[in-house]
Amino acid sequence: MANTHGHKPSVKIGAGAVVCVEAEIRGDVTIGPRTVIHPKARIVAEGGPIVIGECNLIEEQALIINPKVGEKIDKNSGTMTIGSHNVFEVGCRCEALKVGNNNVVEAKALVGRNTELSNGCIIGADCEITSKETLPENTVIFGQSCNRRVQAERPPPQTLQLDFLMKILPNYHHLKKATKPKADK
Amino acid sequence: MAGLLEVDRVNILCPDSGIRLPISRLYFCRHCLKLKSGQCVSHEVDSHYCPNCLENMPSAEAKIKKNRCGNCFDCPSCRHTLSTRATSIAIPNPNDPAKPTTKKAYYLACGFCRWTSRDIGMPDKHIASGAWQVPDNPYVDRMNELLDYYRQLAQREKQERERKRISRRRSYFHLQEKYLSQVSTRRRSGALLSALTNLSVKESEQNQNLSVKGSESVDDVEKLPPEIYNEPVNLASVCTITQRLSQPEYQPHYIKQLYPKHKHLLIKRSQRCRECEHNLSKPEFNPSSIRFKIQLVALHHVPEVRIFSIPNLYFQQESQVTLMLINAVENQTKVTLQPMPSSDHDVATASVTLPGSDLVLAAKDDTAEYDDMNSDYPEFKDDPSLVHFRKANKLAFFVKVTPEKAVGDVIIALKVKYNYRDMAAQFRRTDEDKDQEKEPPIVWLEYECTINLGKLVDK
Repeated sequence: MANTHGHKPSVKIGAGAVVCVEAEIRGDVTIGPRTVIHPKARIVAEGGPIVIGECNLIEEQALIINPKVGEKIDKNSGTMTIGSHNVFEVGCRCEALKVGNNNVVEAKALVGRNTELSNGCIIGADCEITSKETLPENTVIFGQSCNRRVQAERPPPQTLQLDFLMKILPNYHHLKKATKPKADK
Repeated sequence: MAGLLEVDRVNILCPDSGIRLPISRLYFCRHCLKLKSGQCVSHEVDSHYCPNCLENMPSAEAKIKKNRCGNCFDCPSCRHTLSTRATSIAIPNPNDPAKPTTKKAYYLACGFCRWTSRDIGMPDKHIASGAWQVPDNPYVDRMNELLDYYRQLAQREKQERERKRISRRRSYFHLQEKYLSQVSTRRRSGALLSALTNLSVKESEQNQNLSVKGSESVDDVEKLPPEIYNEPVNLASVCTITQRLSQPEYQPHYIKQLYPKHKHLLIKRSQRCRECEHNLSKPEFNPSSIRFKIQLVALHHVPEVRIFSIPNLYFQQESQVTLMLINAVENQTKVTLQPMPSSDHDVATASVTLPGSDLVLAAKDDTAEYDDMNSDYPEFKDDPSLVHFRKANKLAFFVKVTPEKAVGDVIIALKVKYNYRDMAAQFRRTDEDKDQEKEPPIVWLEYECTINLGKLVDK
């Protein structure tokens, strides 16, 4: 993951990703292909790098942050990985180190640092989950007291919404340019 | 004007039920000329409607469907409303096997907890509504048997009661038939008529053998499966108690057995004065309309007292409090404030000096906000030591309050007497008076009110 220029870690945007200029992306962030990042979304990698997979949808005022804990910046364990086909709705906040595929973090939800989302989890609106655990697959967390239940199947992927946004957003916003993908070690 | 939000600062005593309520919770009966509270009125069901599809349902149909909507469902897991979602599936066209046609498949889904009808294995339907089946109640026969037995018992008891009543009043029956004008006598004579017809025809059925098989106790109960002692409970697959009890017919253990239920109907209620049987509140028939056909609330008929401003109140020191009177009717109203005579059940903790003279309130004019205001009203000669200001139908005036108790809230009590133009009096007049009087008579009404001025300030 060595950056040949050396002084500042950069943002690597995959081909086909739609990232609006108004989105704030700081630190070492890798964004996969066909991901849509709305304006005013914030991806802040201060404690370590963030790797985002493909076909994700990150909406306005969502905050995906890899926070700095203390003074140490540990490159190896501090990487936040987010899989593919996830949806981060408006105003949510995600600090989890590992997020799998097909998860939905609904509006104004909070996922703490110690939690890990596997696949197909849905964190309901305004729910906070900060316990140190890995949520089993297809878990739904909802309600004021954060009730849980397990779904039979994972939530359907938002392909229709992604296609629509990839057509419409470039009409109204300037986009950040895609960078050439670097070969992984 | 926090007085608009803290409605229970000014409470009015309802004369019939003896409870104190803010003016927004009271009704005013135009015919009895009295204030009524929720306890002095009879509540009746006006109509049934579904809160989701807003469909009106006549009462007979509601009774058959057990007060449930036919189209809408509740999520068994969180009891919110289920919505129908569609996916398109490709199935091979029977005419042309090479080209698959897309058809829509519908399933129920909850937007809150993400429960879907596929979770319990219900297959997707091909029509949008009306295809969802609720499983049968396994005990429906026994329930119907018990219900029939108790219905017959109740019928028999009612007949015996009616028989006792008419055997005493047999001579008055034909008289009541002639003067069937008021609602209450109509109701009573209807019951008499039905009782008489029942008696004359069905004497033999009285001695019918009414009995039902009692429940039998069983000696050997099914033993618990041994897995209960060995395996840990899988919390994800077991129902919560609320989920289980919301379906009392089946009481499923596992969430795979939770079926959606039809949505419960809500009612619109109308309220009726118990004395004169006139309607005090009658909503509109349309479920999506929040207005009323008849809305006889106290706010629209009775002058309201509001707190305008309170200075710091010190124990046993006289301070000046500004109160406001608001006229609700469209004619000029004279209001007299009188002190409450002290009694054993005194709520007041402060003594108050009230203005001695009558206060005149201007008529309520709905167009007043559109005219240019000239704030002095020359037709009302207001004493500046008594009246703070006057605006449209409102009047702010001073009272002097001396708190008498060192702890607790400062509460003053007063009697408000006002003159009311009785518009409903013309319905009570007999034919001779109708030619003489054209003007509705003016009566003086009163109510007792207690005002909570808040806490004392330490010196």
